[in-house]
Amino acid sequence: MLDVAKMAVDAARSAGADLADARAGTDESESLTVRNQEMEGIDRSTSTGVGIRVLVGGRWGFAATARLDDAEIARTARLAVEMAKAAQRLPGDAVSLTPVDPATASWRTPVKEDPFTVPLEEKVALLMEASRVMQGVPGLSFAEAGLDFFRRSTWFASSDGAAIEQVITNSGGGIEAVAVADGDMQRRSYPNSFRGHVKAAGYEHIRTLGLIEEAERIGAEAVALLSAPECPSEVTTLVLDSGQMELQIHESIGHPIELDRVLGMEEAYAGSSWLSPDDRGKVRYASDLVSITADATLPGGLGTFGFDDEGVPAQRVPIIVDGIFENFLSSRETAGVVGQTSNATSRADGWSHLPLIRMTNISIEPREGTLSEIIGDTDRGIFMTTNSSWSIDDKRINFQFGCEQAWRIEHGALATPYKNPNYTGITPEFWGSCDAIGGAEDWVVWGTPNCGKGQPGQVGRVGHGASPARFHNVQVGVRG
Amino acid sequence: MSGAGGVLGPDSFRRIAGGALELRGADGVEVLLMHESGGLTRFANSEIHQSIAREDTGLRVRVVKSGHVGVAASNEATPEGALAAARSALEMAEVVAADPQWPGLAPPAPAPDVDRFFEDTASASPAMRADAVAQLIGACAPDCRAAGAYETIAVELGLANSEGQFCWAPSTLASLTTVVSGPDGGSGFAEVFAGSTGPIDAGAIGRTANEKAVGSASPRALDAGTYTVVLEPAATATLVGFLAWVGFAGRAYIEGRSCFDGKEGRQVAAPSVSIWDDGTDPRTLGVPFDFEGTPKQRVDLVGDGVFRGVVYDRRTGKEAGRPSTGHGLPSPNPEGPFPLHLFMGTGDATVEEMVRSTERGLLVTRFHYSNIVNPMESSITGMTRDGTFLIEHGEVVGPVRNLRFTQSILGALSSVSMVGREAHLASEFFFSASRVPALKVDEFHFSGVSDH
Repeated sequence: MLDVAKMAVDAARSAGADLADARAGTDESESLTVRNQEMEGIDRSTSTGVGIRVLVGGRWGFAATARLDDAEIARTARLAVEMAKAAQRLPGDAVSLTPVDPATASWRTPVKEDPFTVPLEEKVALLMEASRVMQGVPGLSFAEAGLDFFRRSTWFASSDGAAIEQVITNSGGGIEAVAVADGDMQRRSYPNSFRGHVKAAGYEHIRTLGLIEEAERIGAEAVALLSAPECPSEVTTLVLDSGQMELQIHESIGHPIELDRVLGMEEAYAGSSWLSPDDRGKVRYASDLVSITADATLPGGLGTFGFDDEGVPAQRVPIIVDGIFENFLSSRETAGVVGQTSNATSRADGWSHLPLIRMTNISIEPREGTLSEIIGDTDRGIFMTTNSSWSIDDKRINFQFGCEQAWRIEHGALATPYKNPNYTGITPEFWGSCDAIGGAEDWVVWGTPNCGKGQPGQVGRVGHGASPARFHNVQVGVRG
Repeated sequence: MSGAGGVLGPDSFRRIAGGALELRGADGVEVLLMHESGGLTRFANSEIHQSIAREDTGLRVRVVKSGHVGVAASNEATPEGALAAARSALEMAEVVAADPQWPGLAPPAPAPDVDRFFEDTASASPAMRADAVAQLIGACAPDCRAAGAYETIAVELGLANSEGQFCWAPSTLASLTTVVSGPDGGSGFAEVFAGSTGPIDAGAIGRTANEKAVGSASPRALDAGTYTVVLEPAATATLVGFLAWVGFAGRAYIEGRSCFDGKEGRQVAAPSVSIWDDGTDPRTLGVPFDFEGTPKQRVDLVGDGVFRGVVYDRRTGKEAGRPSTGHGLPSPNPEGPFPLHLFMGTGDATVEEMVRSTERGLLVTRFHYSNIVNPMESSITGMTRDGTFLIEHGEVVGPVRNLRFTQSILGALSSVSMVGREAHLASEFFFSASRVPALKVDEFHFSGVSDH
């Protein structure tokens, strides 16, 4: 397939491209879903094709096709050039790319046990047993369990001479217990909501999850929530578990630091950012406890790779240092605006999409202590766990997130459980109130496999290392 | 309909599907094919920054053997590729337990004859889209910045199964959406969704968004609280679209998870509110059969404010003892059926009349990033965006900063006091669009404010 990518680049150059790169690729996935010991879904999917990106007269063109014969590749390359020439019908600044050394390389996710070769029978049996154990909890309505496997193979070539092969493998699984009664529905998930915990790893990750071992507890918590009181509406101290911190980091830090948003390139669809290009080193984003890193080399992260989709090598970049904003996520096109070179965050949702700036692994650096110690150190407040809902404004300032369950914290201990908890805040105020972040022992690399961005919409796979943390003066229990 | 770039035609679809239908050892085989070709011109800061062409054919094969079901998808759109997918699906079917609710594949039945293919859209060139974008930008003030996308797509959907059902339908989608940003924090939004590029007046879209952007400059802060609101159609579409998620899906209703649980025949909204789904109506987008090959039907969901029913696919229909209404999604689909062609009935008011009748309230252009808070209470949250204005004594008196709402949809629809006389197609979700009017809602709860 590297030959396909090289042929596409040559065809684009012949068609008049000043610069060209191409990604030939194959996506494979397998998904299994069990509900109440019945198979709700079992499917496999493959998709193969090539996408060709060109610069002509300083304007981008992109065309993609699933047919890989010589004539079709040549036609698609001409189409990409036609696209770029059409863009020249409007005035505007020419695209300028920051430099990169063209690499010849091969990279793949370290995998101990290929998830696609593990027998289907074994996967089905795992999900059936987890479902059976949950169903054993009296009062439970639905016991759901799922596994997802994903492999992207990409061959990248550029007119600068890059030739890169990458194979990225992700594995994930989770269980959900749903209780329905008297006009109420409550859900508990493990290890995380929305199909569980997804990592860049093989089937060995699934074996560590303990889906069967945790099934009874999750089922019992869902049923118990039906009779729990609603989370009260008040301004209080809030402790978040690391799973909810994943979402908090993703929405209120990961997206605002994308330089294409900051420059208005995503404004019409998903919105822009409250940050400005000249904010680096000046804006206090959070309290001085908070340091955030973008690390595409992090083992296990869904945003881990060898090279981004512009052929730039993976990097670890400080984003927030002791509360001060330091760096954007950038591409070859955008980095020059802030006087830098690309920090390798330009990625596409497969061969048929144009690369966009996407989060890599945006993680909060661990500090000290366990979740138990943070709760033990809290006189009064609310502890929330496991995301259930998210919403944030178009500049990523005003957010409101929901969780599956909360507990009152009284004198350093968990007391009354609450259902339907949520909280709201303003991004820099909220992060500015952070006064405790857990240590490495409670730091988990979570995966977000369904991050949406772009037009047409693209799905991005990103990671977040997160510890539990504590925030002050937070409005919880928002009611409609 | 001929000569359009990228159109495969029914014979090609039949030939490709035939490869999978040759599978031996299965009781039933279903092949769903979707060919998509099109382009997108995306602009920001009043320049084109992405210009894209894509073409792909996806096939999805469902195989059943003694009630055991497996599904495989591929984009190898050849008879050999279809057969390989079918074999993979059969392999999966053989390791899973039988589905006790398996309803069988769709029997032969003709789909309604709806022509939604427009040659002008299928053959739209990047130069044409670029010129339209230039026209849109030209309609904006020099100190405003336009961003958005002009997309033209041709889609062919085909389904063949071993029961003898075969359906194929082409359709097109043309959409131009923009957000115009002004120099003092103002922003405005406008969009048109249509099957043909004909109704897309790029200059008018630019002028509408520009007017909003200029008018919403330097917004003032407003306290959160309960207000009367005038919702333009894009904002109404958010309420109706999310009602589909939390209420109109047959599976959630059967399982007692719908916000309409126990409410059949009961008043759930103001008498002026009627909502239905109709994939056969020429005023919407899409094809006249669902992803299982069942012809689509009109389904009345809320009539004169009374809850009438929900939509079904073959599996949930069997469970409910009803026929499929033609609302199946691609298999496997644990979520069940979904309405993709929602309509809300019109009334007799204009937006201007709604504003004039409002003593104090807010005019909302659209919502942003809404999400479900409590599905059984039909409660959602989200932000206003791209033009939010204060109304006092029957007049728009100025822009306000964006507010967060947290609100029960049925609560809002129960306090509708005026309904717009014109309906517009507006898209809340990427794969569907609702045709809805503007609404005046007497009580709408805003739970927070933003800084812009």
